[in-house]
Amino acid sequence: MTDPDPLDDFFDAARDAPRRMPDSLLMRIAADAEREVSPPSKRSRHRMGVLALLGGWPALGGLATATLAGVWIGVANPLGVDPLGLVGAGDVASAELSVGYLDVDWALE
Amino acid sequence: MEAAGTRLLTARQCWAVEWPLFEPHRPDTPVRSMMDRPDALAEMSDTALLVRYGNGDVGAANELTSRLAPRILTYASRILSDEAEAEDVTQEAMLRLWRVAPNWRQGEAQVSTWLYRVASNLCMDRLRKRGRSTPLDAVHEVQDDRPEVASDMIARDRKMALEAALVRLPERQRQAVVLRHIEGLSNPEIAAVMDIGVEAVESLTARGKRALVAWLRPEREQLGYNDD
Repeated sequence: MTDPDPLDDFFDAARDAPRRMPDSLLMRIAADAEREVSPPSKRSRHRMGVLALLGGWPALGGLATATLAGVWIGVANPLGVDPLGLVGAGDVASAELSVGYLDVDWALE
Repeated sequence: MEAAGTRLLTARQCWAVEWPLFEPHRPDTPVRSMMDRPDALAEMSDTALLVRYGNGDVGAANELTSRLAPRILTYASRILSDEAEAEDVTQEAMLRLWRVAPNWRQGEAQVSTWLYRVASNLCMDRLRKRGRSTPLDAVHEVQDDRPEVASDMIARDRKMALEAALVRLPERQRQAVVLRHIEGLSNPEIAAVMDIGVEAVESLTARGKRALVAWLRPEREQLGYNDD
């Protein structure tokens, strides 16, 4: 068993001493905090406003998923899907429809 | 002081929190948020509060002030033995904390350790400017309006004797002893505060304590130790 530290009672007394923050100091610190607070930038406010209009992060996630799915359907296998519900009409009809769209695009140009 | 009860955030504060983004609100209209819970800020870590303040929430600064400023004031007053200077150091340290908040790097340092380090440097600057000439009678006694009983008087006398002895220590030893044995920091934390190695901290505290024991030994009988 070791002897107690002869300074323990002195340190205990120092730790237990009441310490009250002066109100004037609290007010000075609070005033500094109020003055130094950085408001959100205009850019981030605008970004968050647009996000809110779209419906927030969940809606944005759905939008991104739908966009990626559309790109995949359009690029990966255009003849393997039937976007207009022409099931049974066969690949020939879909292919002709695609060609028709292409013709329209060229005509617009 | 905030009233205990439902707390409303202003629209400006609301921009700083992430979750109500999908709930558009009219500007300048108070909105309810998770901060309706009065103890929400009290449950947050110092780092989370600082990040919150960096995002524009002044309420987080108030919570940080109530947690950290009294500790810094106590520490600075023990190092400087001057209440007015200790208050200035506390305000300056907190001001630097507010300024660093937007760029605070999480995980690099504890907020309290960072603040002790800033306060230590500010104290050392002031001690260097005035020279090492703190008279023993300059030790400040905290006023307490409660009626004193015998045990309070003994504790007060012990505290005053310790503070008078601390003033006699070299500055670095005083810093290390106060941080270790009164503020309760670990040796690695003190090493970070003082920008030295852990072994150097151990050496400083050991030498400081040896000197304190030698100085306080004659006072022990007068300070209630003969009651044992």
